[in-house]
Amino acid sequence: MTDQYHNEPMLELFIFESMQLIEQMEQLIIANEKFESYDSDAINEIFRIMHTIKGSSAMMLFNNISTLAHSMEDVFFVLREDKPQNIDSSQLSDLVLEGIDFIKVEIAKIRNGDEAEGDAAALIESLRIFHATIKAQNYTVSDQEIKDTATSQGNSAPKKQQYYISKVRTEPQSYSNSFQATLYFEEDCGMENLRAFGVVNDLGDLVKEYYHIPEDLDHEDSAEVIQEQGFTLFFKTDRSLEEIHRTLSQTIYLKDLQLTQVKNSEPFDDLHEERKILLNDSAKIPASSSREGITNDQKESYSSASQQSIISVSVAKLDQLMDLVGEMVIAEAMVTQNPDLKGLELNNFEKAARQLRKITSELQDTVMSVRMVPLTGTFQKMNRTVRDMCKKLNKDVRLELIGQETEVDKNIIEHISDPLMHLIRNSIDHGIEMPSDREMKGKPRWGTIILEAKNAGGDVLIIIRDDGGGFNKAKIMSKAREKGLLQVPEDEITDKEIYNLVFLPGFSTNETVTEFSGRGVGMDVVVKNIEAVGGAITADSVPGKGTTLTLKIPLTLAIIDGMNIKVGDSRYTIPTTAIKESFRPKTTDIIVDPDDNEMIMVRGQCFPILRLHRRYHVNTLVTNFADGIIIMVEQDDQTLCIFADELIGQQQVVVKSLPAYIKHTKKVTGLAGCTLLGDGSISLILDIAGLFTVKKTG
Amino acid sequence: MKKLLIVDDAAFMRVSIRNMLQNQDIEIVGEAANGLIAVSMYKELRPDVVTMDITMPEMSGIEALKLIKAFDPQAKVIMVSSMGQEGMVKQAIISGAKTFIVKPFKEELLHKTISKVLGV
Repeated sequence: MTDQYHNEPMLELFIFESMQLIEQMEQLIIANEKFESYDSDAINEIFRIMHTIKGSSAMMLFNNISTLAHSMEDVFFVLREDKPQNIDSSQLSDLVLEGIDFIKVEIAKIRNGDEAEGDAAALIESLRIFHATIKAQNYTVSDQEIKDTATSQGNSAPKKQQYYISKVRTEPQSYSNSFQATLYFEEDCGMENLRAFGVVNDLGDLVKEYYHIPEDLDHEDSAEVIQEQGFTLFFKTDRSLEEIHRTLSQTIYLKDLQLTQVKNSEPFDDLHEERKILLNDSAKIPASSSREGITNDQKESYSSASQQSIISVSVAKLDQLMDLVGEMVIAEAMVTQNPDLKGLELNNFEKAARQLRKITSELQDTVMSVRMVPLTGTFQKMNRTVRDMCKKLNKDVRLELIGQETEVDKNIIEHISDPLMHLIRNSIDHGIEMPSDREMKGKPRWGTIILEAKNAGGDVLIIIRDDGGGFNKAKIMSKAREKGLLQVPEDEITDKEIYNLVFLPGFSTNETVTEFSGRGVGMDVVVKNIEAVGGAITADSVPGKGTTLTLKIPLTLAIIDGMNIKVGDSRYTIPTTAIKESFRPKTTDIIVDPDDNEMIMVRGQCFPILRLHRRYHVNTLVTNFADGIIIMVEQDDQTLCIFADELIGQQQVVVKSLPAYIKHTKKVTGLAGCTLLGDGSISLILDIAGLFTVKKTG
Repeated sequence: MKKLLIVDDAAFMRVSIRNMLQNQDIEIVGEAANGLIAVSMYKELRPDVVTMDITMPEMSGIEALKLIKAFDPQAKVIMVSSMGQEGMVKQAIISGAKTFIVKPFKEELLHKTISKVLGV
């Protein structure tokens, strides 16, 4: 996030709210497109969203967004009011989605501090044509007329009674004074015609007969006329000049007022043709509003709801809070496990320390829960991906979402959205067959992709399952051979290992690069993204039946339960969730194979041993198995025995990423990050999945 | 200090208006996100002036204006409209809105409008 982004809360709010609305709208469109028609609720909602975005972006001076939103609003206005039949909803969806994409791109530019200079003229033109087409179906009258009749209906207000009065004078005696008033409005007030209308409306009962120039206040052009030439009103009244002057002077935005008394009836008599003057019975409307009066119950419930119960907080602030809580967890450990306290009998201190520990952990849980966001948004976005892919590739795919309410840390969500999209594109592009091929294979014409999320301990599993053709084992093998990616002897490789070859850098099974997937980056980028948040991905496939991809991602990044261990003078931390057991090995259980690989026999099973001191070149006195300890860890159905000097103890640790210069200059593998321990020493957090690859290759 | 109630379904607009009035001698007593809430907040808080968006979910600004005017004929409501809403603005005037302001507007215009409506 740039500094600018930080300093401009309004901009931030604009981006946040607009994105939220846009996404909501996208969902609505995709949901409605399935039924090939838009229901009235959706139309209303989309209209309102476009209206809001139009207003907000205009306020922020993002005129290109505002103009585009305006033309979409116009289209939905007609849909809402005229309810035209036989609209081409697929074309409409395309146009609106294109508009959504444009706005998204512009907002992304704004977010990055770039100029939002995109030009949507072509799209606006298409929208205008669409607008004209649907309008032509129902109406032949002018724009403004539609708008006016429509708005009055749209608000479900009682259709205002309008009547025209002729210049026939009633009670001529009591309305003896005739005036001519010319009003000028301030330049920037906008909608001058309606300001003028307001003036007439305010005079209300004071005046009897009147007419004005320009005559037609409903026409938009009249606003310009009034702006330039003022608004001139002739009227008869029984009030004095002073009284009228006072009333008219109260007009808001009034710049100049000229009021003169004219000779009786003079201007009126000049008018030979009948003046149509629009009178509105303003008195009736407030009274009629009791019609839609809300019940007392409702009022009460709303008045209690009126207090804001949700506030939005910037993620940067949450990150900072999380950091602080992390520091506090460390500080707490530093105090309560302070080396100075060793050997002292401190009953009261212990009690207070326990209390501190309890509160710290509650605080931590609360902050964590604040950061948790359901996957719904990310999952819903995939609907769009599927739709676009199907349209382009002429495939028919249904996306099923399961467990979208599963919550994940906000930071993690940001990292998995793109990989998920990429994987789904891959599934549709390479996995799901063309409808005709599917029929030949006796499958339903439409393919199904199931996107499922579920909790599994400290992780969340995201599973993408398709019922396509499955991976082609032979093809993967030949490709892997060609690229020299095979590390396991070919006769020993398992199916699962073959499938997981596709995640290796530089692997892509499709020879022809298509528009959507396989732009040369492919799977390894997905893997990198997932690994960046401490996750892992595995693949399984049944030829002809489909493919299952499983993403395993941690619930949260920041704080983990860890077991601290000691090797020489170094400290390491193993995530508790990965530990199966720890034990002191017996020398008799150790087996060494001809390649000098050490293994240990536990309950009849053989597991590889990894000596941490060798792996990280640490000097230690404990090199004999019998003197140290074995910690058995498991990840993705693989088990490894880590050999260390001793266990220090279990503790919650705050994960800090490794300093960039270490990450870049040395190719450190098997480390997820580092942390500070209670005594102030630094501990390296082991990345268990990373250790397995280390074990294999090294 | 005069009291103001902001009614708008877009948080962006609510905050915009609030920010624009930051250094003004006016107290923002509440923010409502739709007409229904606006009406009940008006009754509870009795603000001196209301800025009222027109297009909102649950209950539109026009309906809310009517209910507020029925409850308090002296209510001072400024409609916040945008281009293309002429028809509704007209209805709002008929229903007793003091005046209206057209989006996008600048800070000064908002100040001027509010002080004029309040008769300061």
